[in-house]
Amino acid sequence: MRGLQLPLNQTQRIRLQRALEKLHSLSSKANSDASVTVADTIPVNYDDAFLKGHGTTDLNGELVATVCGVVERVNKLVYVRALRAKYKPEVGDIVVGRVVEVAQKRWRLEINFSQDAVLMLSSMNMPDGIQRRRTALDELNMRSIFEENDVVCAEVRNFHHDGSLQLQARSQKYGKLEKGQLLVVDPFLVKKSKQHFHYLEQFGIDLILGRNGFIWVGEHVEARDGMIVDQANNSEQSTVEKDQAYTPLEMRQNICRIANAVRVLSTLGFNVDADLIIETAELSSSLNIDIHDMLGSEFHVLVAEREAERRSLMTKRKR
Amino acid sequence: MVGLSVGEKHFIQGGIAQDLRSDGRKRLTYRPIYVETGVIPQAHGSARIRLGATDVIASVKGELGKPSALQPDKGKIAIYVDCSPTAAPMFEGRGGEELSTELSVALQRCLLGGKSGAGSGIDPSSLVIVEGKVCWDLYIDGLVISSDGNLLDALGAAIKAALSNTGIPKVNVASETSGDEQPEVNISDEEFLRFDTSGIPVIVTLTKVGRHNIVDATSEEESQMSSAISISINRKGRICGLTKRGGAGLDPSIILDMISVAKHVSEQLIDKLDSEIAAAEADEEES
Amino acid sequence: MEYVSPEGLRLDGRRPMEMRQIRAEIGTVARADGSAVFEMGNTKVIAAVYGPREVQNRSQQISDQALVRCEYSMANFSTGDRRRKPKGDRRSTEISLVIRQTMEACILTHLMPRSQIDIFVQVLQADGGTRSACINAATLALADAGIPMRDIVTSCSAGYLNSTPLLDLNYIEDSAGGPDVTVGILPKLDKVTLLQMDAKLPLDIFENVMGLATEGCKAVANYIREVLLENTKQLEYRRGL
Repeated sequence: MRGLQLPLNQTQRIRLQRALEKLHSLSSKANSDASVTVADTIPVNYDDAFLKGHGTTDLNGELVATVCGVVERVNKLVYVRALRAKYKPEVGDIVVGRVVEVAQKRWRLEINFSQDAVLMLSSMNMPDGIQRRRTALDELNMRSIFEENDVVCAEVRNFHHDGSLQLQARSQKYGKLEKGQLLVVDPFLVKKSKQHFHYLEQFGIDLILGRNGFIWVGEHVEARDGMIVDQANNSEQSTVEKDQAYTPLEMRQNICRIANAVRVLSTLGFNVDADLIIETAELSSSLNIDIHDMLGSEFHVLVAEREAERRSLMTKRKR
Repeated sequence: MVGLSVGEKHFIQGGIAQDLRSDGRKRLTYRPIYVETGVIPQAHGSARIRLGATDVIASVKGELGKPSALQPDKGKIAIYVDCSPTAAPMFEGRGGEELSTELSVALQRCLLGGKSGAGSGIDPSSLVIVEGKVCWDLYIDGLVISSDGNLLDALGAAIKAALSNTGIPKVNVASETSGDEQPEVNISDEEFLRFDTSGIPVIVTLTKVGRHNIVDATSEEESQMSSAISISINRKGRICGLTKRGGAGLDPSIILDMISVAKHVSEQLIDKLDSEIAAAEADEEES
Repeated sequence: MEYVSPEGLRLDGRRPMEMRQIRAEIGTVARADGSAVFEMGNTKVIAAVYGPREVQNRSQQISDQALVRCEYSMANFSTGDRRRKPKGDRRSTEISLVIRQTMEACILTHLMPRSQIDIFVQVLQADGGTRSACINAATLALADAGIPMRDIVTSCSAGYLNSTPLLDLNYIEDSAGGPDVTVGILPKLDKVTLLQMDAKLPLDIFENVMGLATEGCKAVANYIREVLLENTKQLEYRRGL
């Protein structure tokens, strides 16, 4: 079993256990027989026509799971939703990645997928914002847009015929992320939602929840395109400037608090969504818990208890 | 190594300058230390230490051997470290060898003192059974299972914990033998000798990033270091060993400053570690 | 030497057909994509899986399936007598190969073309049956990494000493020089994927011993499934809606 790697004292252990048991009893899926492990038979009505989806295979006429997860049925489709796994891209997903290579007319990005993703120069909005053919000069200047190790936010465009994954960054909101930190969580903890870019006004910071489990917490940036222009035209000047301008302390405190909230939720295996992150961060500041102490055992237990309470309220309301 | 973008590097450096690191720590704060003892029942003593995502195991094994002719009144102690590929794919094959050697030598320097055995955390003369003929050879092995920076401090702490956990069987010498004959010995199954571990130093690594020093750097922070000094300090506040790593040169006066900082940090670290070790030992006896 | 007492008990007090205590834990290496610890009595093994990820050495890339690699290593302190062995000796190379081939047979490699999966197994304590423990740990780690598999692989060994078939040999029994049969099975498909034996045995006894080892594999499989199911349920209910 996946033990929490936390030193707990006796009371903390009992409290945590109680909270987790409560979560267990509240969950509808985990109590049913929907959870399967590798090579479990999935019960289906063989007389009806059904489609076998991801995570399933046919074994001597039986439908069998190939990964551990939860069986989902949508109309005729039967598939296993894997929990802990590498990121499975879907078209339109917003992802955060790191540039590993600048190649001809393209960047290669590590996005926690089984291969590197490709961002073509032609799938980028150019700094000048005008739709036009990419010239040889643009190609030479690719490094001034993104260079190796840069953290970039983009959208999944499609799978190419050769199986490679293509990204695009055709809007102002996509682009290079600076002045902040990148966190990595299990991708299944980040749910698809309408909004993956969050500007947390009360904290003055940006929170980007990449569907691939890469989460960016950083200073709020107004117009992203402006930044790219800046980068392209006076990159030298800006690096000189940057040396003096560190993130203001108050904003850094907010960034670290939010980042630690993400870390706590991910250690506990809770859903990492914006509301919960903010709630967790606010809980810590309302209790006057030091930013670093958020990573201690006591706060983990507190968050687990809080979450159990919250979910039980939610289910009551539904009834 | 970890790749970081210019913006992230800048963010980390800024955090260190403002005394608020990426995970909310101050410059001189350690991550929570988690100690487990007796993890390798086959060894005479063992411990596992976790510092954030850094995870190491140390084990102590004694073997009967013969003291070297030059130092007939002293047992031998050796420290070896291995980096398991489970920690990072780059340690695969011979990939971890360089780092393993670097860590082994640094630990020997910090914990074992000079050739004569002076300044060693464990008194080598306590390992002798019959002078010039029989002694314990102590093999201390470290294994890195997961790596997120500050391996040296973690290994040092693990070795300290493992030695506190160690019980070496008592050896009875059968009878007086004369001349060059090896005496017959009888290893007891019931009686164990414990080491006095109060003198074993802890290692404090100060990593210099920009103009500031930090302790317990994560691997991301380590990638930004200009130089690092590992200082081993015992409970009395004496320096037992010192290693400087990293390219940039340091002003001698800065080094002295760093040592006094490390001394200050070491007091808290020893207290913290001792109480954790005691708790872990109690836990082990319970189960 | 007597390995089975007249009362039918072995040196460590087990019955001939009794397995040692097994224990598994998932998710022990923080930074790996999948990891597990597996214990059989005093034998203790850690497995970590990295990938599927971009192939590091482009020339090794396979266009229609994943590249599976494996490295087995033993900690210096893992054996009773401490030995310092160089990395990559013949024994480790052979075991690496065995584990790789066994795991490759059950991973659905064609679903992850042009990618690479690394399996690292580290022996913390060796007390007989390390091969089996490594395979069991690797299965758990692969399942934890969410890598699609045909079936889980489980392994167990059996031997024959004092005219008695013995399940799950420990180090003393293993070094007695008798035959040692290591079996790996795919429990759902009911197929044998790994079979190794040293020393000689009459055919009818071999059948018995192999049958015993297979039963052992099935017991391990049941345990592994329980652990995986419990882990899956936990991940699901913790995550919430």
